[in-house]
Amino acid sequence: MTGPIIQCTDVHKWFDHFHALRGVDMQVEKGEVVVIFGPSGSGKSTFIRTLNRLEEHQQGTIIVDGIELTNDVRNIATIRSEIGMVFQSFNLFPHLTVLQNITLAPIWVRKWPRDKADEIARQLLERVGIPEQAEKHPAQLSGGQQQRVAIARALAMQPKIMLFDEPTSALDPEMINEVLLVMTGLARSGMTMLVITHEMGFARAVADRMFFFDEGMVVESGSPSDIFDRPKEERTKLFLSQILSH
Amino acid sequence: MGLAALGLMEQPPPTSVGVIGWLRKNLFSSWPSGLVTLGVGAALYAVGRSLMDWVFSEANWKVVSSNLEILTWGRYPRDQVWRLAVSLAAILVLALASRRARRGQRRERRWILFAWLLSPLGLAVLLRGLTLPTPLTVFNHLGYYLLRPELLSVLGVEWRGQVAAVLVGLLGGLCWGAASTRWRVAIGSASFAMLGLLAPYGLLRREILPGIQLPNLATTALLFGVAWVLGRSAFRRLANAIVIPRLLLPAWLLLLPTLIIVLTNFDVGVQRVAPAAVLPIVEPAIWSGLLLTVVLAAVSILASFPLGVLLALGRRSRLPVVKGFCVLLIEVLRGVPLITILFMAQVMLPLFLPTELTLDRVLRAMAGMTLFTAAYLAEIVRGGLQAIRREQYEAARALGLSEALVTGLVILPQALQTVIPPIMGQFVSIFKDTTLVTIVGLLDMLAVAQSVIKQREFLGLVREVYLFAALVYFVISFTMSRASRRIEGRQGLQQTANLGAE
Repeated sequence: MTGPIIQCTDVHKWFDHFHALRGVDMQVEKGEVVVIFGPSGSGKSTFIRTLNRLEEHQQGTIIVDGIELTNDVRNIATIRSEIGMVFQSFNLFPHLTVLQNITLAPIWVRKWPRDKADEIARQLLERVGIPEQAEKHPAQLSGGQQQRVAIARALAMQPKIMLFDEPTSALDPEMINEVLLVMTGLARSGMTMLVITHEMGFARAVADRMFFFDEGMVVESGSPSDIFDRPKEERTKLFLSQILSH
Repeated sequence: MGLAALGLMEQPPPTSVGVIGWLRKNLFSSWPSGLVTLGVGAALYAVGRSLMDWVFSEANWKVVSSNLEILTWGRYPRDQVWRLAVSLAAILVLALASRRARRGQRRERRWILFAWLLSPLGLAVLLRGLTLPTPLTVFNHLGYYLLRPELLSVLGVEWRGQVAAVLVGLLGGLCWGAASTRWRVAIGSASFAMLGLLAPYGLLRREILPGIQLPNLATTALLFGVAWVLGRSAFRRLANAIVIPRLLLPAWLLLLPTLIIVLTNFDVGVQRVAPAAVLPIVEPAIWSGLLLTVVLAAVSILASFPLGVLLALGRRSRLPVVKGFCVLLIEVLRGVPLITILFMAQVMLPLFLPTELTLDRVLRAMAGMTLFTAAYLAEIVRGGLQAIRREQYEAARALGLSEALVTGLVILPQALQTVIPPIMGQFVSIFKDTTLVTIVGLLDMLAVAQSVIKQREFLGLVREVYLFAALVYFVISFTMSRASRRIEGRQGLQQTANLGAE
């Protein structure tokens, strides 16, 4: 209600001597859908991983949902349970069934009784369109189905924010749409989302704002129409022409 | 088994027809192959025939059959052997129940898991025996640790009565001060009753208290009175401290044992009071034969597994002390032959333990084998842990799981699944290595077999005994590796099913 749900000020990150993030500023309001794009190696993935501290930033401040990210373990645990994350390579737990993948964190972190967790997991599977796969193991599913399970797994914790790190880049073309459809539905339901993607159709239809990353910095940001129709920076124009040409 | 059993594949077209077809394809596909087949076949026939001849006509199996009991349970008392049978039956029942429950209710599974976790304790009690403490033994041990007897002997025999009187008097006085009038009567009579307990000892000059005679009794009574007054005034002075009334009841409860110990200086004796034997104790020192072999193997397998997993996790710890300790332990244990470890366990282990605790030779051997196996398991498990991709950690952390839960729920289960075959291999190998305990003087099955050979009436029947021993080891090892295959198979089934759906 008060202030942005994510507030990053001058975030820097080094991998040894490589300066991966060079002063990123970003504010995200509750319910906003933000699309982040840019060439590979531009730091966009590193950036959203700093938001749930899968990467540590070394300079600047990141405040998520009123909690500043520091090395305090309790803060990190709290933040992680409020942020859902979907990875490029799904990263489901292969030794667990689909249902167990989804209920694992609610049962162990949220301490829900198993029956409640199961029920909510089944509702989520219904929502992502694969209720019949609950008892299978991840390897028995197609890539698109696995990614939808991964979204359900993140949603099961009832997070306030969802991070998507190139959720469709590892998918065969015919499966991209089923995942984007789920994400569009999620955006419409008012979830705060940060999405790294090069699916520009999705970005134009769903994003409230877009950020173009290059060389560890935000080069340009604005509404989808600003970015697509009136890009100001040369680098943005060049990159857009490259990915939209094919 | 495999794909066909899952119905995921249609039948492939038959590739060869009948026995002749199979023979042609596998044994006589070419001239060299045919020659090898014939050569090996002839050799097998020659060896097998002479072996069979010996087994069925020449060998005298009486040496085995008449020594079967001693080979199996060694020196375990004949009238207690039923306990081994009960143990075996209990394990079988549990195994059958868990087989049935694999697809059963969650609650049922939980009970069976609980039973398995408790089973080592139950089996240990069955094998070793059980004695229950009686009030008298509890009393003695309590007293022994509260007031060390060597301290009491400083107190002269004739003074003990006085000390007791002072103690009772102090406490009685304290209570008198604390209590309302109604209780005072009770406390007063209780104190005098206790003092009265002392009186007969003094008057009758019982041997327990040789020093106390009538004049002493008078001083005792006097001391009691003084202590009483002191206690009462002490309470009045401390009346504001509210804790005192609460301490009084425990003080009384402690007083009685203290008195008896003070008065007798453990003459009832820690050794003299025998606990009640529910199951007579069969000390591990006399366990021998196949029983010892199996118990040694089972204990080192069961105990080394959790220890090995902990060592593996410790070796990957970010805390330098934990990591250093684990690396040191693993490397030392792996760098020393098992025989050396067995010797060290016999000689060195007592150094690390308090002097009251003497470990049985068998227990020391178990400890040595457990540590040895744990070090190897730790390296195997570490290999499994390294095979887990970094993304699995990240996905688990991103869900908000703590580091312990990430390891316990996501990483370890996957790591252990991948290393089931080498772990089972290690278990089979430690089972066979139990024969080494002969060297530290324990009589495992092989050692018993060697003593059987020396019996006068069976002199010279060496082959029969060794062949039998080899057969027993083989059957058990083979069963273990078959079991391992089945566990792998269950995992594999999952993976084939996965492949089928891809």
